[in-house]
Amino acid sequence: MGEPHDTLLSLTGVDLGHGDRVVLPGVCLDLRRGERVALLGQSGAGKSTLLGALRQQLGDTAAWCPQQHGLVPQLAVYHNVYMGRLAEHSALANLWNLVRPLAGPWRQVAELCVALGLEGLMRRTVGQLSGGQRQRVAIARALYQERALFLGDEPVASIDPHQALRLLALIDARHTTSVIALHQRELALTHFDRVWGLRDGRLVIDAPARSLSLSDLDALYPDALYPDAGSDTAASATPSTSPRAEAGSRS
Amino acid sequence: MTTAGLTPRPGWLTGQSTGLRLARHSLVLVALAVVLLPLADLSVLTRDPWGELARMARGLAWPAWGTVESPMEAIGLTVAVALWGTLGGMVLGFPLALLFARSRLVRAGCAFVRAIHELFWALLFLQVFGLSPTTALMALAIPYAGIFAKVYAEILEQIPGAPRDALSPDVGRLSRFVYAELPLAWTRLSAYTRYRFECALRASVLLGFVGLPTLGFQLETAFREGRYHEAGALLWLFYLLIASLPWWGHRRLIPLLAVGGVFLLAPWPEVNGGLLWRFVSQDIWPPALLEGDWRGLIDWLAKIPDLGPAIGNTLLLGLLGSVGSLLVALALWPLACRQFGYPATRFAGRSLLLFLRSTPELMLAFVFLLLLGPSLLPAWLALSLHNGALIAFLVARHADAVTPGMPDATGAGRLAYELLPRIYPGMLALLYYRAEVILRETAILGMLGVATLGYYIDANFEYLLFDVAFFLLLVTALLNIAVDALSRRLRPREAAIIDDPCQR
Repeated sequence: MGEPHDTLLSLTGVDLGHGDRVVLPGVCLDLRRGERVALLGQSGAGKSTLLGALRQQLGDTAAWCPQQHGLVPQLAVYHNVYMGRLAEHSALANLWNLVRPLAGPWRQVAELCVALGLEGLMRRTVGQLSGGQRQRVAIARALYQERALFLGDEPVASIDPHQALRLLALIDARHTTSVIALHQRELALTHFDRVWGLRDGRLVIDAPARSLSLSDLDALYPDALYPDAGSDTAASATPSTSPRAEAGSRS
Repeated sequence: MTTAGLTPRPGWLTGQSTGLRLARHSLVLVALAVVLLPLADLSVLTRDPWGELARMARGLAWPAWGTVESPMEAIGLTVAVALWGTLGGMVLGFPLALLFARSRLVRAGCAFVRAIHELFWALLFLQVFGLSPTTALMALAIPYAGIFAKVYAEILEQIPGAPRDALSPDVGRLSRFVYAELPLAWTRLSAYTRYRFECALRASVLLGFVGLPTLGFQLETAFREGRYHEAGALLWLFYLLIASLPWWGHRRLIPLLAVGGVFLLAPWPEVNGGLLWRFVSQDIWPPALLEGDWRGLIDWLAKIPDLGPAIGNTLLLGLLGSVGSLLVALALWPLACRQFGYPATRFAGRSLLLFLRSTPELMLAFVFLLLLGPSLLPAWLALSLHNGALIAFLVARHADAVTPGMPDATGAGRLAYELLPRIYPGMLALLYYRAEVILRETAILGMLGVATLGYYIDANFEYLLFDVAFFLLLVTALLNIAVDALSRRLRPREAAIIDDPCQR
């Protein structure tokens, strides 16, 4: 990616939350065009809240891939992907599309499905798919929106590392800017320009990825114990007696 | 070592665990019923109930098939009325379901039409449309519209919101509904509609009791005239109809049945608009009210027979029926549950439950009434057996799905430690849902001569005193709504609901 230029969005001391409940008080951050941002933090640290707020502010310019996919299990893969652009068609066209798929969208979705390894599954209902396949359908739906910006809430959470790399590359190829919540710390350092780290409702890391090391990121996970985090940095990571390890943190 | 430091042994049923709280709750209900029992007239008024019962049993055991007049036509009409009544209810109820959460007026209107039993609607429409298919269809479609609106709205409310939230906020209402809401609710919506159709079949049979030529008409005549072998044949026909529903009620056959039904329902009566308008705008209202004569209205009210005992009987029967249902359900559900007994006993238990819950409660009450005479006793028995069997069936199905943590525990141990703690909250919740239905049924039992509100409604329609009859219908509806609100409040909060829309 080239040098980051103009700022797409800038938050200065904004309280983010749901209704009256503030989850992230006084958030300050800038999102620049052309930047790929990895969003890290424990479950419950406020990643989804931050992404939700970004989605709200960026509106139509951002493609959205929600956590838990938000798919309709009773509908076919094709219809779930099509839902990415539901707003661009009339209600009548949308209704007709349920009876018989529209020619243009069908072709476009078919191409996407090939790219995501979902070929031959377009008419299968999502309820019949495996977890990894569903995840790819959710990504396909976001890609189908064809926006410049990609917002993803753990889009590669339940996918093996090899495939996760492939999907991230696909997302990068089709979007100039992206903000992606992740569990995989290594991926954040190797495949992103910038890292935002949330801990206890605060943005404690906002730095270029190349200036960070794994041990810096360990500070985001006080509850987890990383025996593989490197012996010289183990002391700097907050030690914990709890054997609970974040799922997917050891990759 | 002394026991001073240990937790003291608790007394009788003391403690705050869910099970104990529900046990106390249930015991209070039972105690209330026992205390009020002396107020109910439970006398046996016939001379030889056991001999009569034996004759009925013989009739059921040796049905006289040859004596039934044109059975296919009666069956066809029963199905056609049920099908079109349900379809009408769907068409009216679905749009209302979409407005349900937003409009207090819609909610109140639905509560009102639901609170009046199908048979009372039939009595009302009978005055305008006569003995015609219009009466039958309206009698089913109107209360079902209210029921569908409420249940559909509840189902739509419970669908997961994630797919909806994933959509762009610019997506139109209709597109959002058909893509991200309707598919998620579809299975439950169609399951409930199917269940309601089964209810409609029972109601359609009952419409025979007010004179419409469905199966119930011949059934009532045969029973009343003591032709028990013919009545037995008709009852068997009805059970076969219900039991074979999965085959003939297949989704693909429904359009065919619907088209065939139209021909069976014909001829349609000519509706006299002027007459209809007069009925709606004048006949059902007290003349004094229309003239604005308040003193006259008070006189009119004073002439209405004392409703106190009728309301008291209705409420008492509702309470007794609910408690009876609870006891019947508690006694019967293990019979049909796979955790107990042998294949043969389970088959017998399931057949018994099927028999009791398929027989319309009015039919049961009618039979008990012939046996025992017109006291509250036959009505109480009928309500308890029918609703108890229905609850027992749902509870047994729920218990079938439980995997006991201690597979070695059998019999009473499994019942008391493994199953009851898991299913009792759901069972009590079902009972409270059912209380509204029981009260509605209580009212119609009056049509058989039991001294509830329904008795006076029926009588006033018979004397063509439509204003009084309609007033009493309003009173019944309000009573129903009040009891529904009360049961909603009394319902134990911790009661995990057995997740089945087909419970109401």
